[in-house]
Amino acid sequence: MNTATSNGTLESLLRGQPALPASPLAWLNRLRAEAVDRAGALTVPSTRDEDWRFTDISPLTKMPFHPVSSPSPLDAGEIAGLALPEAGARLVFVDGVYAPHLSYNEAGIVVENLAAGSSRHGTAIEPHLGRHAGFGDNIFAALNTAFLRDGALIVVPCSVSVAAPVHLLFIATQPEAVSYPRCLVVAESGSTVTVVEDFVALQDAAYFTNAVSEIALADSASVRHVRVQRDSSAAFHIANCAVSLACASRYQAVSIALGARISRHNLNVLQASKGAECVIDGLALITGHQLADTHSLVDHAQPHGVSRQSHKCIVDGAAHAVFNGKIMVRPGAQRTDSSQSSRNLLLTGKARIDTKPQLEIFADDVKCAHGATVGQLDDEEVFYLRSRGLSDAAARNLLTYAFGAEIIDRIPVATLRQRLEQIVLAQTHR
Amino acid sequence: MSTVLQDLVNQPYPHGFVTNIESDVAPKGLNEDTIRLISAKKNEPEWLLEFRLKAYRQWLGMEEPKWPNVRYPKIDFQAISYYSAPKPKKKLNSLDEVDPELLRTFEKLGVPMNERAALAGVAVDVIFDSVSVATTYKQRLAEVGIIFCSISEAVQQHPGLVQQYLGTVVPVGDNYYAALNSAVFTDGSFCFIPKGVKCPMDLSTYFRINTQESGQFERTLIIAEEGASVSYLEGCTAPKFDTNQLHAAVVELVALDNADIKYSTVQNWYAGDEQGVGGIYNFVTKRGLCKGVNSRISWTQVETGSAITWKYPSCILRGDNSVGEFYSVALTNHRQQADTGTKMIHLGKNTRSTIVSKGISAGHSNNSYRGLVKIAPTAAGARNYSQCDSMLIGDQCGANTFPYIQVNNPGAQVEHEASTSKIGEDQLFYFAQRGIGAEEAVSMIINGFCKDVFQQLPMEFAVEATKLLGLKLEGSVG
Repeated sequence: MNTATSNGTLESLLRGQPALPASPLAWLNRLRAEAVDRAGALTVPSTRDEDWRFTDISPLTKMPFHPVSSPSPLDAGEIAGLALPEAGARLVFVDGVYAPHLSYNEAGIVVENLAAGSSRHGTAIEPHLGRHAGFGDNIFAALNTAFLRDGALIVVPCSVSVAAPVHLLFIATQPEAVSYPRCLVVAESGSTVTVVEDFVALQDAAYFTNAVSEIALADSASVRHVRVQRDSSAAFHIANCAVSLACASRYQAVSIALGARISRHNLNVLQASKGAECVIDGLALITGHQLADTHSLVDHAQPHGVSRQSHKCIVDGAAHAVFNGKIMVRPGAQRTDSSQSSRNLLLTGKARIDTKPQLEIFADDVKCAHGATVGQLDDEEVFYLRSRGLSDAAARNLLTYAFGAEIIDRIPVATLRQRLEQIVLAQTHR
Repeated sequence: MSTVLQDLVNQPYPHGFVTNIESDVAPKGLNEDTIRLISAKKNEPEWLLEFRLKAYRQWLGMEEPKWPNVRYPKIDFQAISYYSAPKPKKKLNSLDEVDPELLRTFEKLGVPMNERAALAGVAVDVIFDSVSVATTYKQRLAEVGIIFCSISEAVQQHPGLVQQYLGTVVPVGDNYYAALNSAVFTDGSFCFIPKGVKCPMDLSTYFRINTQESGQFERTLIIAEEGASVSYLEGCTAPKFDTNQLHAAVVELVALDNADIKYSTVQNWYAGDEQGVGGIYNFVTKRGLCKGVNSRISWTQVETGSAITWKYPSCILRGDNSVGEFYSVALTNHRQQADTGTKMIHLGKNTRSTIVSKGISAGHSNNSYRGLVKIAPTAAGARNYSQCDSMLIGDQCGANTFPYIQVNNPGAQVEHEASTSKIGEDQLFYFAQRGIGAEEAVSMIINGFCKDVFQQLPMEFAVEATKLLGLKLEGSVG
């Protein structure tokens, strides 16, 4: 990538920035100004950068994206099919703009849009907003922060347990639109919450979603996080999710990537204090010429941490899946117990997988294991099902479905789980 | 032990003087004239000079690789003399004159008596006549048509063969250090096994007796024709002292239809002292090409020395049904850094590869496994199994794993597993209970950890390698 193009891209992406109204919070204005400076100094990554070696985002830089000022007016009927009946609260963003008439909150905790909530809950969010998702060397996080005006804010008070999930629905309706979804979850000590981030499209348009989520767990807090990316197959989706775990807290995540022409999900989990636990699972199910890239980092910075990760990719057509899972065990993070598996299923001769489960260990009293497999369906398993009277196609569909269903089954919201199972079933039915 | 080692490394060559120094040592620095001088000194044909110059010109446009997980001060390539005549070694008259520490090392390793003398630099004819032994070996090899000589000799005697294969596996501009080596290499080994010949002996045996100055920029080329097979051992378990800090070698292997090459390395170069002062930089490019069907290339390495190791013995599996193997033990202690692993490039149908890597880090060292398994769209039915295990001894060291897996064919089966462990208090306690001291226990545990790799070594080296690891880890546990 030459500098001329990248600067051109940046200029076009930063064009809408000066129009943002100043926030009443001085620290927020400062944060945004910092991010604008940083975004100006960074260049758009190319495949010459190790972190983007397999993900060529040059198609993204060639599109003329612009932020949306007047979102399409949607009524509740149009999104009825996307609603989750279990949800205790819902925030809807249409092309990145908050839609209050589609949102509700019956959860009994703070679930509001950031623009409204930031002044009211300024002290609660200042230590967290923009502090976990660093943008020092990440241009997309910097751009998101530079455009930070609105987003979702969830604050769960001390020792409050919310059973009903909070549903964050990000709907894309316009072509060439760029949106910067932002989400901040603050789980105070001993609290419990389930958050569903759902990215959907109402039409098959080429748009760009650049999302940042920050999740901060205080001591003994527990957060379940479901992330479903079902953008249109022409869209671009880049997401940075940063999670910080305090003492004895527990974070469970399931990320499902089904859509987008090019998607990239960076999930960084920092075990900032001892005894933290995280379970992160992922599934990418792609076809056609899609590219789905997941980069995860579990940073065991303190002792007695536990992490479990299972990432699966089902790659059909001429699609390309990328997985880079890094487990870091810092000096002194003794008694860390970590395991990771990357399992990949290639369904056609044109599909491609690049996987790299990576370990960096600087402490000796640890248990770390990782494994990776790439292959096709096992002939013996197909034979077994055929001997029970299934056709070859039915046997293969069933096995492919079962491969993906293992991850989907871990979603704690029944309606969402069933809906995704239907999607996977339809997609694996050939 | 380290001060003795340091003294040994730092000691000048009191008996080494070179007559007519002007003509035998090239002035420091690297330019086209230096390369022309090297080529002229070695009386090389025109095509080889062109090969060197082409490499040099590419090297000028290249940058030193920054991606390895190693740290070292910048190397001044203009401060190195790229050609000098072999230095006469200090001759000793009997084993009594050899440093007792060195003898203790041999004792611990179990090096055979007659070889100890040769390795320590005692004039070998005092003990036995190495020339006649070497000649006997050479005759036996010549009878079956095997060519085994230095690469300079091969350039003179068999220029056609060298020209046909040199640079075909590692192209001149492959990487920074390979390009440098291609431009300035001075010597190395050449081995040619003709069609259908099974090499009657491990070439190691011969090699060990002729411990010669291999030089800083070593070049090795091994060719196994259809149906041929050979086992080659490079290096040796005994500590090797060298005044050159930078070593940039290139090894190329070519296996034609049904050929089989087994290449084993035991490397124990000076690793610097406990504070990381001194030590050799070992930046090596090793690659084998399974050119023909059913061919097989197997790399086995035991890396215990060098301050920095940067090497990835690789296999390009082009022939259908060809097999690539990589077995490695890399041990780092004190301030050593190792970034090593392999690349298995599957191009042909039903190609198979196995990777077994064992990394042991102790002290303040850093040990990385970096591997690539690439399955091309053409490699239907390809199969890979990788296992890389790390063991950490102490909490100041690091163990990293960077396995790249790139699959472009649905018929491929690729499996990768990695684990990390340590020598536990409970394990040592168990040994102590049975009357086995800590040091011996560590040696046994390490031996068990590395068993899969040692099994691949020629027998006598497997025995020595086991002892070598125990020796290298002396004092790091308990």
